[in-house]
Amino acid sequence: MANRVAIVGVGQTYHKSKRPDVSQPEMVNEAVRAALADAQLSMKDIESVFVGNMETFEGIYLPDHGLADEAGLFMKPGFKVATGGSSGGSAVVEGSNFVASGLFRTALVIGFEKQDAGDTTGAISAATTPVWGKGMARGALGEFAKQASTYMKQSGATEEHAAMVRLKADRGACRNPYAHLRLGLESVEEILKSGYLMWPLRLLDFCPQSSGACAVILAAEEEARKITNKPVWIADHITVHQEPFRAGTFGDPTGLETYSEDVAATKLYKRNGISNPRKDIDMAETYEPSNWQEMMLYEYYHFCEKNEGWKLIEKGITEIEGEFPVNPSGGVIATNPIGATPVIRVAECALQIRGDAGEHQVTRDVKTAVATALGGPNWTVMVLLRRFL
Amino acid sequence: MVKEPSQEHIKIPIAMSRPYRWATGRYLGKLYKEARDNKKLVTNRCPKCKELLWPPRPVCGRCKVEAGEDWVEMSDKGTVIQYTYLVYPLWDPHVGDRVAEDYPNATILLDGGVYLVHKLEEKDPEKLKAGMRVQAVWKEEERGQGLNDILYFGTIEQ
Repeated sequence: MANRVAIVGVGQTYHKSKRPDVSQPEMVNEAVRAALADAQLSMKDIESVFVGNMETFEGIYLPDHGLADEAGLFMKPGFKVATGGSSGGSAVVEGSNFVASGLFRTALVIGFEKQDAGDTTGAISAATTPVWGKGMARGALGEFAKQASTYMKQSGATEEHAAMVRLKADRGACRNPYAHLRLGLESVEEILKSGYLMWPLRLLDFCPQSSGACAVILAAEEEARKITNKPVWIADHITVHQEPFRAGTFGDPTGLETYSEDVAATKLYKRNGISNPRKDIDMAETYEPSNWQEMMLYEYYHFCEKNEGWKLIEKGITEIEGEFPVNPSGGVIATNPIGATPVIRVAECALQIRGDAGEHQVTRDVKTAVATALGGPNWTVMVLLRRFL
Repeated sequence: MVKEPSQEHIKIPIAMSRPYRWATGRYLGKLYKEARDNKKLVTNRCPKCKELLWPPRPVCGRCKVEAGEDWVEMSDKGTVIQYTYLVYPLWDPHVGDRVAEDYPNATILLDGGVYLVHKLEEKDPEKLKAGMRVQAVWKEEERGQGLNDILYFGTIEQ
């Protein structure tokens, strides 16, 4: 029988486009200190460290070696995970697996990306499968743009619906002191006035390139109960891979391909007795780099029927005060320090379950939450969190 | 309001080439060779599920079996499934600068039944639409670059 694993502390840096005031290790250290303070622990209590980062984006060889001291890795076991956008989610899963196995009683999981060091879109375009489709890719932007164009046509969603998703995100971000873009947007019209980056994606339809870090501390049940009276349990998690370049695109415009999100959600819900996700789960933090993507993710994760994602936003169901809040933190479209992003999803869900989310605490009492991650086009990680086991 | 003192930041620009030598391997190598020598797109088929594997590869991920050498030649015609075009200049590492004036980027379903991400010759947004029929326009010079032996996909009449 595996050990039960709980989150006993979370911490993050503030997120900005540029952090020239700190080096990468210094930025990571900020998040580590914040998580330790939240758990009221010191580095002596941590047995292992797992980090998530995409080193090609910053161009630093083995960053986990360079920041061993600042991450608390010095003379301790652990490693770095790099699975694209889902790196931080994979790191949480690895930390959780090691604690569940009984090998370590505690694990510190850190996700980080300092995107002011380089150009992520350039790195994706340059380094993705150099002998296949070189020069064809337009980073994540191009794929999300094409996906949005198809979704618009197939589902009946309009640019107004996409703008409503950004409005919702911005309302959340403005209530979250750590969020990157806090724009104070007031109307759909304001968003529809922003220029196109890549048709049909407007500047305000896409996430920023953020620099920031986030850390969570995991503990086995016995330790967790000693450390905190508000442990948040990792009830289950799942990872599903799908080769990104089979379809050559995010999602599948013809319906011939299987979505990794669909496979992950089906399996995770089934083995946890979740028959009606919007009823059995209280809220979600998803990996949605664009507002269009958020509406699609509602469908991929079975929060609604196919082609009806836009109806959830239209009816206000996913608002902070709504029946099923999604991304109350402002989400990825407001803050995207890639390696940190999925760790933030998990940390935000934990704060909501603890009731410690502050200004952006959702109205619904959160006993169960799901955090998701998206890597490459189709590398899905889902983490199911609960207040009670 | 007290103005924060400005900090001194030391910046070290490093421009470097990428001296890598990536191998195409046996399977993708055959596609490279056929494209270079015969302006043809080829791929292999799974012996079990009979699906086309794309790009060509030694195993079928679904069936977990060795794919073998059942090679199929595909038409270089296809249908545009989705497309986008760049409006705001984006950094392009292959050019070394921000580029806005570029060909639209499309996901094309080849008539053989596999997807391809490539460029479209048609630059007028008014004339772009999902469902449009296109065909590869092959380069005459400097071939041996795999899919880059195709300049772009040009619009063809129905």
